[in-house]
Amino acid sequence: MAIVKMKKMYVFGLKKDRDRILDTLQKLGAAEIADLKEEDIDDGEVTRELSELESKLGRLKMAIDFLKPYGKEQNPLVYGRPKISVKRLQELLSREDEISEVVNIISGFDQRIYRLKAEESRIKNQIELLKPWLRLDIPVENLGRAGKVELRAVAVPKKNYKPLVDKLQEKELPLEIIPIGESQDDNLLLAIYHHSAISDVQELFKEFSVTTEEFSGLKGTPTQIIAQFQERLGAIETERQKIQVEISKLRDHLLDLEALYDYWFLEKQKKENLLKMAGTEKVFLMKAWVPEPSVEAVKEAVTSAAGASHVVFEEPSEEDDIPVVLSNPRIVQPFEIVTELYSLPNPREIDPNIFMAPFFFVFFGMMVSDAAYGLVLSLLSGLALWKLKIKGAGRKLVELLFLGGVSTFIWGMIFGSWFGDLIKIKPLWLNPMDNPMAVLYLSFAMGLVQIYVGIILSACKNIKSGNIADAVMDQVLWLVFLTGLVMMIFPGLAGVAKYVALSGAVGLVLTQGRSQKNIVKRLISGVLSLYNVAAYFSDVLSYSRLLALGLATGVIATVINTMARLIGVNILGYIVMTIVMVGGHFFNIAVNALGAFVHGSRLQYIEFFGKFYEGGGRPFDPLRMETKYVDLEDA
Amino acid sequence: MEVTLGQVLALLGAAMAVFLPGVGSAKGVGMVGEAAAGVVAEDPNKFSQTLILQALPGTQGIYGLLTGFVVMQKIGLLGGNLLPLTTYEGFLVFAACLPISVVGLLSAIAQARAAAAGVGIVAKKPEEVAKGITYAAMVETYAVLSLLASILMLFGLRFS
Repeated sequence: MAIVKMKKMYVFGLKKDRDRILDTLQKLGAAEIADLKEEDIDDGEVTRELSELESKLGRLKMAIDFLKPYGKEQNPLVYGRPKISVKRLQELLSREDEISEVVNIISGFDQRIYRLKAEESRIKNQIELLKPWLRLDIPVENLGRAGKVELRAVAVPKKNYKPLVDKLQEKELPLEIIPIGESQDDNLLLAIYHHSAISDVQELFKEFSVTTEEFSGLKGTPTQIIAQFQERLGAIETERQKIQVEISKLRDHLLDLEALYDYWFLEKQKKENLLKMAGTEKVFLMKAWVPEPSVEAVKEAVTSAAGASHVVFEEPSEEDDIPVVLSNPRIVQPFEIVTELYSLPNPREIDPNIFMAPFFFVFFGMMVSDAAYGLVLSLLSGLALWKLKIKGAGRKLVELLFLGGVSTFIWGMIFGSWFGDLIKIKPLWLNPMDNPMAVLYLSFAMGLVQIYVGIILSACKNIKSGNIADAVMDQVLWLVFLTGLVMMIFPGLAGVAKYVALSGAVGLVLTQGRSQKNIVKRLISGVLSLYNVAAYFSDVLSYSRLLALGLATGVIATVINTMARLIGVNILGYIVMTIVMVGGHFFNIAVNALGAFVHGSRLQYIEFFGKFYEGGGRPFDPLRMETKYVDLEDA
Repeated sequence: MEVTLGQVLALLGAAMAVFLPGVGSAKGVGMVGEAAAGVVAEDPNKFSQTLILQALPGTQGIYGLLTGFVVMQKIGLLGGNLLPLTTYEGFLVFAACLPISVVGLLSAIAQARAAAAGVGIVAKKPEEVAKGITYAAMVETYAVLSLLASILMLFGLRFS
């Protein structure tokens, strides 16, 4: 239970056995290799091999990403990842050159497609530029000087067009302008003028910011040019389709590429760990973390892989950076995700999951609190677990929703809520809408229980680290004081309660200031510490959200039902009514499940963990067969 | 039907409980959506994480609607026969609507700020999204408390 004990392993062996040992450890997946050196000593050969692997992986990744859209892989969420046997992998490795040729071809395609795309966008830009000039029926290479005449295609800003025309009439230059068309901002003109007037014309053009269009590098009339461009665009498209056909012929190689990528990826991980070891020319020393239950297996694996190596296990010392693995009963495991999202426990404290799980379970259900919603939630998440191959944290989350659904179902029966007031079944206890105060008190009571558990865990922590006096003064006295205050609520106990609370309070006043030297200061800090009762009070009040969110679900469900019933007056109305009900209730489930998860987690993080939990653990990350695309099978 | 001032006040309270938190939530959800769109433009895979953050300031609007609905039920508007409320009774209902109306409006916007900042966490460290959600949920506490106050007040009122 709780946090798994870690052992420190030292392996001392011959360098020639190193790869074999790493190989076995990777297959076993139970040892995290720790850095022995203070800083990376540059091991020339390993670094070089690593960078080679790096570039090989990069090329494979490029090819895989490129082929992926063409491949017809089954969705791994439904069918799981493809499996590759070791035999198949051997065969792949034997024809690695061939596969590397495939990668080359793909990278060639990649470049060709890239070039085509660049050309395409260039042509499209030019077409856009030429379009306004369509009515110009002179081949553009004939523009410019022809004998004594200048022929120019010019653009004048629209607001300057009229003034320019007026000016021309006034000045009587040997210049003729023929309107050709309009672009977005300019009027496009053909200007014809005698060579002798060139300086006057240039001055005029400058005054009205007229620009000359050069059409450099183009031949033919704009119409002809655009037609040529369109033709080229067509050709580009055809070529692209041809390339795509070629590529889709290669798609059968996708799995090979992925398998090879994963193989080299695993190799890279092994190589990276080499950098963490110390050694001389012939021997090496490796340090690794191994969970206690795996110690024997790891030892046997290492010695059978390399008989000449020496394996020692050691208890971790105070200042070691120990990685954390949790081990909880199957039913608690889904709740680990709540703690993981906050922070893993540090290796020297208690794993809170087993204490937190029952509270989270109860709170989640109470905040959604509708039997039918619980059934839907459990059914959907159960279906997802059964049919989909979800892994890791996602799986834990879905499992948590499944359990949350169960709890919701139970609370729904207690409160008699089935899709709000749609199906009327007598509550096992009461309907919170009839007597919200009773449920509010229940919420506070449950909060109080969790806070007590938190304080007790904090005391356990103190006792574990040998500070029994602290446990008595900081936690037991508070428990006494709080219990006294709680007892005062019940009239029958009020007499005793006074003394219990008072003795707790006196104890606290006397002890809470113990870090102060001065006796007066000590008493003052002691009295001030009683102010903490406000913190506990607000913690308890915080649990009122259990009632509030539960009521919210119920009332929203009722709103949905009422709205739907208003519509259900004829056949069409019944159809719309059904849609409103189904959609509305699904929306309500989604919003409230999210709310219950968020607020349920919050109660753990702030009100519960705040009492005793530190967190800050580093997850155990053993050298293992962690692949990206395929599952490598050892057969 | 004779309309009393009390009925007007009660309905005003219900309307206020719906529209003020509704406005706050709409503004808040919009703010977080803007921030989220920026992150998703870089990495579309972060859609689901940012969507959760965006949904958080949306609850105030729901709480408001819920309070408005409880008022409507209480004063018999949904059943079709509006109770003949006195002016004081109308004020009582109006007062009960105040907590969720005001706190709903303001907390939705405050929560949206925290959630939009949480979107920044998703951009840089997506694995820490739970922390961003928790920060935003801290703000929500006050909306939940005011909802609780409003609803308890309304449940406590009895009109003949």
